[in-house]
Amino acid sequence: MNTVWKTIFGFFVLVWAAVGQAQANPVQKEYTKAELISAVAQAAPGQTFRVGLTLTPRDGWHTYWRNPGDSGMATSIAWELPAGVSASEIIWPGPDHIPYGPLVNFGYKGAVTLLVDITIAADNTATSVPLKARADWLVCEEICVPEDAELTLTLPLGQDSQANPNAAAVIARAEQRLPQAYGGQSTARVGAQTIDLTVATLPSDRKIFFFPYAENSIENATPQTVTQKGEGGDIAITRGFAKTVPDFSGVLRIDHDSGAAFYELNPVVESVAAPSAAAESSADSGITVWQAVLFAFIGGLILNLMPCVFPVLSLKALAIANKAASQPGEVRAEALVFTLGVLVSFAVLAAALLAVRAGGEAVGWGFQLQSPLVVLILAYVLFAVGLSLSGVFSLGSRLGGVGQSLAAKSGYAGAFFTGVLATVVATPCTAPFMAGAIGFALTQSAVMAVVIFLALGLGLAAPFLILGFVPALYRRLPKPGAWMDTFKQALAFPMYGAAAWLVWVLAQQAGPMGVAAALTGLLLIAFAAWAYGRAAGREGRLPLFEKALAVVAIVAALALLRVPETVTAAPTGTTAASGAWSADRVTDLRADGKPVFVNFTAAWCITCLANERMALSSPAVADALKQHGVTYLKADWTNRDPAITAALQQFGRSGVPLYVLYPADPSAAPQILPQILTEGMVIDALKDLTKP
Amino acid sequence: MKRIIGLAMAATAMMATIAVAAPKTGAPAPAFTVAASDGKTYSLSDFKGKPVILEWTNDQCPFVVKHYATGNMQASQKAAKEDGAVWLTVISSAPGKQGHVSPEAANKLTADRNAVPTAVLLDESGVVGQAYAAKTTPHMYLIDEAGILRYQGGMDDKPTTKHDDVKTAKNYILAALTEWKASGTVTDAETKPYGCSIKYPD
Repeated sequence: MNTVWKTIFGFFVLVWAAVGQAQANPVQKEYTKAELISAVAQAAPGQTFRVGLTLTPRDGWHTYWRNPGDSGMATSIAWELPAGVSASEIIWPGPDHIPYGPLVNFGYKGAVTLLVDITIAADNTATSVPLKARADWLVCEEICVPEDAELTLTLPLGQDSQANPNAAAVIARAEQRLPQAYGGQSTARVGAQTIDLTVATLPSDRKIFFFPYAENSIENATPQTVTQKGEGGDIAITRGFAKTVPDFSGVLRIDHDSGAAFYELNPVVESVAAPSAAAESSADSGITVWQAVLFAFIGGLILNLMPCVFPVLSLKALAIANKAASQPGEVRAEALVFTLGVLVSFAVLAAALLAVRAGGEAVGWGFQLQSPLVVLILAYVLFAVGLSLSGVFSLGSRLGGVGQSLAAKSGYAGAFFTGVLATVVATPCTAPFMAGAIGFALTQSAVMAVVIFLALGLGLAAPFLILGFVPALYRRLPKPGAWMDTFKQALAFPMYGAAAWLVWVLAQQAGPMGVAAALTGLLLIAFAAWAYGRAAGREGRLPLFEKALAVVAIVAALALLRVPETVTAAPTGTTAASGAWSADRVTDLRADGKPVFVNFTAAWCITCLANERMALSSPAVADALKQHGVTYLKADWTNRDPAITAALQQFGRSGVPLYVLYPADPSAAPQILPQILTEGMVIDALKDLTKP
Repeated sequence: MKRIIGLAMAATAMMATIAVAAPKTGAPAPAFTVAASDGKTYSLSDFKGKPVILEWTNDQCPFVVKHYATGNMQASQKAAKEDGAVWLTVISSAPGKQGHVSPEAANKLTADRNAVPTAVLLDESGVVGQAYAAKTTPHMYLIDEAGILRYQGGMDDKPTTKHDDVKTAKNYILAALTEWKASGTVTDAETKPYGCSIKYPD
């Protein structure tokens, strides 16, 4: 009897449930059909079973995964359940990679069944359980529409659970898409710019993509680079803007011919960057504060070898070696004063740069050379130093002792001004990766910027400073003698060369009128030097007259400084001439499927010119460019150009050179080439571009 | 010295792996010159000396609708302008795609919704949007008086289309502006932009 009643009651429940389903499940919305299905037709107390929310969008539309990627919204389910029934979080099948223009979304193309585990408490004595779900989802094709549905599925509750054959296939299909536990070890090395994911086993020649659970942890649209290593491999992923990545769990998707396989990874996270606040704040420029200080210091060291700096310093070094034996104390003091001269000059330079920045101008390293006035003054100074080295005249017999030239002048004033001069003549020679350090400095607080500049100065002063404090070193320097005059005279030629180069720079900036003014000015300087040199050390009316002539010539040369400023040539950077850079051209060319190589350069940048001469202008590179269909664009920063400054900033740089290779695929990340180029590097990079 | 140069080269090579797509917070914002619905042409440099807020929009995107139907976007525009900021609404939808509007339609939308942007920029080529790596509607940017980018990301911290969420959400863009004006820093300088993808040209 009892059983009969139960059967009859059960029958009614089923009928009622069916009617209920007809009313609230499935629900057809405008763009999506939503349906709640259950793996069991009848549930039992104490049982956990799977239900699914199937979303079937219109053809070509998609819904979203738990991390929706660049746009969109994850589907959510809010349950309303009777006592003694609980629901798990959504168990997500592996996602699809859905590109849209420059964006990539993570979601499901077409129908998907999101799974949920429902648990019935063992002491649940109800005869049926209504499972009521409110689902919210965003469905998109080109456009996006938010939809929602209230879905109710009521299941009878009995001693024995009964499977639901109608839903079995759909749920099984969804389960096949669930990420599998991943057998091997995995490690994520989180750097400032990239996350390197190393996995123990990885099939070769497959399409592979890693979908992290944490939003913002990666640049979704940037291609992930897979490098096979034995059984396993490395996946290089561009880091997103999330400040920290404490957990890099996610789903690895491997596309086989037969379909996609998904594995859940819970990698051990290792932080590569120092986890200090400073390191975090500097993630922007890709280097930390201490790296920037170190680069600045090394950059300063390298400046010592530049053709315009080396003569000044080597003479000074020989001069101190001369008296080192007798007066070691004075040598130390001079080395310190020289260092002070360098540091003060760099502090002034930093202050100038910061002042210009505070005025709202976008500036970068080398900005001082964008002014024709500064270029011409430097040309005068270098030329005058050259004349002095040639022995045309000697400075300093009045100013500070009995030295042979400005640089060899003894005394503290001489040491201090040698430091200033070293800084002044060093400015045209932007050493590699000073650009990185200074670009970083420009994005930092004023204090940090000054610290980085001072590190640069310290680098420049370091060899001299060390020389002054280590007697063993300066004792090894060759003994001064007659050969020094020859050496000194020989060193005049790099100075003339640097002056000639600056005049050429001026030609780019101010045209023929500027060159005419510069050459006239240099002539006047030469005349002044000669007249002054003749007069030096003699008394009488003739020497006085000669000195007066020298002063007049100097004044005339200084007056000419104004000429280039007033005849500044039009900027040539962004004109539409063939091969000239503009941001639009890069975008257009890539849109046409053409890769682009951009050479950010300036006439006053010696590293740039060296690279152009040694690497970029070779026939082999020209052939490679042609062969790979790469368009070569030149962004000329000789004169101020805010568009180029902005483009440099985008790469965390504030100066040239910068070499960027843009793949044809507009969503692919541009590749930055080193600041010192060789022909081989350029050709290899071009080759890699067209590799699949 | 050789060693130092070797170290220098290695360091240079290391830095060369840096690749960047989005504009940098703390660096100069990309310059632009673009036509607006009022018939004028605007450049970012026109507004030097004032903070500038950029709002990417698409009037039919449900995420944008949330902010306009609730009056949240209009109130934010008003508050920002009262605080001395310039508010530029940018439409980067390509012709024929959702959200693309004629200048007249853009002006009508502004009037009908009681919106008060300084100008509505019509970036149908998507050049401005791509220079800023704008991804979604809405997607918000704050540029300071000197043209430096100070905030980029979402309108607020509730990435939904539910209108009620506006009431409890943290308005990131107004918070960024207020904090910038008060202290010269922005705590949440980068957040996740959320919404519909921008309908760039194919």
